[in-house]
Amino acid sequence: MPAALTVDGLSVDFDGFKAVNSVSMIVDEGELRVLLGANGAGKTTLMDLISGKTKSTGGRVFLYDTEITNMEEHEIALAGVGRKFQIPSVFKDLTVRRNLEVVSCHDTRVIANLGFGFSREGEKRVDEVLELVGLSEESKTIAANLSHGQTQWLELGMLMVQNAKVLLLDEPTAGMTQAETLKTSKIINALKGKHTLLVVEHDMVFVREIAERITVMHLGQVLAEGSVTEIEQNPKVREAYLGSRAIS
Amino acid sequence: MTKRHIEIAAYALFIAAMMLAPLVLDSFWVNRLAKYLVFGMLGIAVALSWGYAGILNLGQGLFFGGGAYMLAMSLKLASQTSLQQGSDKPVPDFMLWNAEPGSQTDLCCINKASFLWIPFQNQWFGVAMGIVLPVCIAALLGIMMFRKRIAGVFISIITLALVLLVRLLIIDAQPITNGFNGLTDLGWFKLFGFEFDPYVTQTYYLIAGSLAVVLIAARLLIETRAGLILQAIRDDQNRARYLGFDVPRFQTFFFTVSAGISSFAGMLYVIAAEFASPTFMDLSFSISMVVWAAVGGRASILGACIGAILINTVTATVSETKGFAEAWKAIIGLIFVLVVLYLPRGLAGLAHDLADRLVNRLNAWRSKATAGQQANKIQPAE
Repeated sequence: MPAALTVDGLSVDFDGFKAVNSVSMIVDEGELRVLLGANGAGKTTLMDLISGKTKSTGGRVFLYDTEITNMEEHEIALAGVGRKFQIPSVFKDLTVRRNLEVVSCHDTRVIANLGFGFSREGEKRVDEVLELVGLSEESKTIAANLSHGQTQWLELGMLMVQNAKVLLLDEPTAGMTQAETLKTSKIINALKGKHTLLVVEHDMVFVREIAERITVMHLGQVLAEGSVTEIEQNPKVREAYLGSRAIS
Repeated sequence: MTKRHIEIAAYALFIAAMMLAPLVLDSFWVNRLAKYLVFGMLGIAVALSWGYAGILNLGQGLFFGGGAYMLAMSLKLASQTSLQQGSDKPVPDFMLWNAEPGSQTDLCCINKASFLWIPFQNQWFGVAMGIVLPVCIAALLGIMMFRKRIAGVFISIITLALVLLVRLLIIDAQPITNGFNGLTDLGWFKLFGFEFDPYVTQTYYLIAGSLAVVLIAARLLIETRAGLILQAIRDDQNRARYLGFDVPRFQTFFFTVSAGISSFAGMLYVIAAEFASPTFMDLSFSISMVVWAAVGGRASILGACIGAILINTVTATVSETKGFAEAWKAIIGLIFVLVVLYLPRGLAGLAHDLADRLVNRLNAWRSKATAGQQANKIQPAE
């Protein structure tokens, strides 16, 4: 399988502090990779570097064969990288359906959008996604009035409509109840195969539910990489991240 | 009936009322109302940039004044006052008064910068510049601000500083702008040989027609996909950016459209009021526009437009009512405070709520009626 996302020696230097220090990883097409690590390990910063929020000071990022290192955020997005933020961010004054319709405008120029209505495929996709994330009933609700979990699902839905090749999900279950977490894992499992996913997550129950391979980060560097069992038994990971306890 | 029907009805009603107003008003009030309709257009411009793009421009007067001055220069040259001393070459009277002794009384060289006026002898040059200049300034300013990701209050500060700067420049450039006196004693605007005397109804209809067109165009513009994307950007710039939208482009586009509407309003105002003055670029005027939009409802094109017309009409009436002549500012101030406290979405918000209630009640009544009908049909079978 071709590599969908290649990170090669990526570094960022914040006035001498290396938040991410020559990180390299290859995520295959259709793979779901979990990024694990203690607070401050550089997981979110790594996502910032890939998605263009933070400019890297060294190394390169490739999306398939295209180099996307340090491009503008919207250019990286157009190249095919979708991002979900830790704090759910949706267009809160628009209805749920409108939120998805905005994303269905794949031609993002101003002039191209000086027309009315949305393409038939776009509307069809919006319907499908509403069904997938379980928000069909709420399609006319203003996004600001959704519950926390629903907001997270709406944002996941937006990434589905965007149809990005690689999705970066930053703690998609943060602040969710158990039932909500379960539903989220279902949504994410449905994305597997169609999209390449890179997920930052702490909740081990959830990680076991979705993970295939795990990359563990520690102090800005990659500490280990492997399957769930390999990682759980890796002595270096136990020492650095989990203390002497097993992964709970 | 849906909310959409009510909205269309509201627009139709407003335009009809505007078109019929001259039938019941005398020519003094017709002229006055024409000016307020121009302010209504400014309300639209503010709603577009503040309500829909989230850009609070406190320098809207810059574009209004820009449009006004450009057309006023042409109309000044068309005025009788520019044809003194039996000359057939127009020269603005204030240039003659201030000319150095012995200087040639011609636009080319009566003073150092007077040549700038030469092309304005053609009225259509003034009209073209009235749109082109403000739009170019807005586009440049927009590109610089939005590319730098300046947002929120900093946009307000920059635009505010800019309008005051330009106001100062205009007052300072006395030889070609007549300083703080502005351009007065203007000629009439001509269209297909017709002269728009500010006190005839044709002038009113020129302005009312323009407002109707701008009103509908602006409403349609926010109905487009681009308009929707703009609102998304207003809600969460970053989200839009990571979905692939080039945010500064959308912001610059709508900022520029808003500036274009303002400059068009500036030109219409000159036709109705027969003067252009640096007061158009006073801070208080630009802030007034924002207040009109806030009262009318910044998230509604029609609301902001009506807000502007209403406040100006009320202000004029109250300030001329005996006993209120001194207190009118306090009364207007009180209205603002009450609206901001109790109607944060302005009068349009109130109208929306009423429309919602009406639609719900109608639907409930209709479903009850159909349920009753069905019950009637079933009964005989029993």
